[in-house]
Amino acid sequence: MKFPTGDKTVSIIQYVIYLLFCLFVAGIIGWIAHLILLSRELQDVPSASIGISIVAIPLFSTLIAIFSYVFWGMKRGKQ
Amino acid sequence: MSFENKWGQDERLFEPIEKTGWGFRATVAILLVLVAWGATSYFRQVKYGLGVTGMAEPVSWGLYITNFVFFIGISHAGTLISAILRLSQAEWRRPITRMAEVITVAVLFIGAGYVLIDLGRPDRMLNVLLYGRYQSPLLWDATSISAYLTASTIYLYLPLIPDIAILRDRARKWNFIFRILSLGWQGTAKQQKVLNRAIAIMAVLVIPIAVSVHTVVSFVFSMTLQPGWHSTIFGPYFVVGAIFSGIAVLIIVMVVFRKAFRLEAYLKEIHFSNLGLLLLVMSLLWFYFTFAEYLTGFYGHEPEEMSVFWDKFRGQYAPHFWAMVTFNFVLPIIILGNRRTRTILGTLIASITISIGMWMERFLIIVPTLMNPRLEYSRGFYFPTLTEWSITIAGFALFLLFYVVFTKFFPIISAWEVKEGREEGLEEVDHRVRSYLPDYGN
Repeated sequence: MKFPTGDKTVSIIQYVIYLLFCLFVAGIIGWIAHLILLSRELQDVPSASIGISIVAIPLFSTLIAIFSYVFWGMKRGKQ
Repeated sequence: MSFENKWGQDERLFEPIEKTGWGFRATVAILLVLVAWGATSYFRQVKYGLGVTGMAEPVSWGLYITNFVFFIGISHAGTLISAILRLSQAEWRRPITRMAEVITVAVLFIGAGYVLIDLGRPDRMLNVLLYGRYQSPLLWDATSISAYLTASTIYLYLPLIPDIAILRDRARKWNFIFRILSLGWQGTAKQQKVLNRAIAIMAVLVIPIAVSVHTVVSFVFSMTLQPGWHSTIFGPYFVVGAIFSGIAVLIIVMVVFRKAFRLEAYLKEIHFSNLGLLLLVMSLLWFYFTFAEYLTGFYGHEPEEMSVFWDKFRGQYAPHFWAMVTFNFVLPIIILGNRRTRTILGTLIASITISIGMWMERFLIIVPTLMNPRLEYSRGFYFPTLTEWSITIAGFALFLLFYVVFTKFFPIISAWEVKEGREEGLEEVDHRVRSYLPDYGN
């Protein structure tokens, strides 16, 4: 059977890539959150984890926001 | 791949993708052999442990961490050249931004990989994920490098989209992949606006991320109380060194691909002269930081600090230290300070000496300090083994392989940006220059 290479397949793969990227960023944010919870549970300077997360989580969120802006912007901007 | 000839004078940019010569095949084959050699050495290291390296207490970091710092450092080429020049609307940036951005992404993967190699037991990386402690600067590194790698990949990809769309419309082979990656780019006004805005935001965002990354790399050393490391200027010192080595590596890459792909029409004397001037400024800055760093240590005259100091100035590492000063400062100043020698060949020679000098600098920051620890260990000894050299060479080969393979799929000079510069840049620059002058309106 020949692999379908039509527009629909292209579109599906693009959505999958986009979702994978979202998952990657969500994974990093989840990991940071896990380290905060762990440090709280062990009473092991949670302020350090919170301090880093204050910078890291908004940063990764901004990156995914920019990528989403381009991804959806390209779709909407088509003729 | 087969293309239609629609791009006239810029057709040359697509030639490396269309034609696969013996040079490409031979280069890839040689690089693959070197990478395989390094991989074999690495598997041997995993099997027998770090005993196959020259590292032993108290010298627990050697070539691998030197390579880590060096590679993360040269990743700054992409940020400085591309982002800063883009933001400052420097028109001469157009043929070099892509080359710089590719360096960043390639070396970040390799640099981060050296930390894994240095671990000896790579499975212990899982401990960082499960039980990492954010008090450790090592974990700050892991977070900031992940952020930088993500940001740099997006920053490389966004300006690549219109070029991928060109390839999609021309190439018969790999067309399916190009259709996916081009995200449906048609070059409409709306798409152009979205892309330009996103690139501009990324250009602003990526600069502080890059600066923070090498600052955090320096924190791995400066947050300890080790002699020669505990310094408040280590952050900016590392950032300056990173930008310095990044520009040098970029110039080497530019010269190589200019020759290999016959890009003389795009990469002109002026590009090398401008980058050479930038390199000259960075060389002076690097010397200033080095001088301040060592003078402060010397003036304090703390015994532990002085052991490291004299080891570098007149001891075991004196030849390396003075070679570093010659390579990073004396030779670049002589070559780049003179307009007659600031040619393509001159900037290439200066860039090669700087790359070697900056690698030596990273080595000299790490090893002599560990050999003279503050705690009451006996003086250490370190001599890298064949395993370490093999993995080091493999890292450099992997970087080149990544680069060469990239050029097989994508144009190494941004075709659409060159075209945009030709069609709109001239008028835009004319208008901008006029707006600076008092006799003209806004």
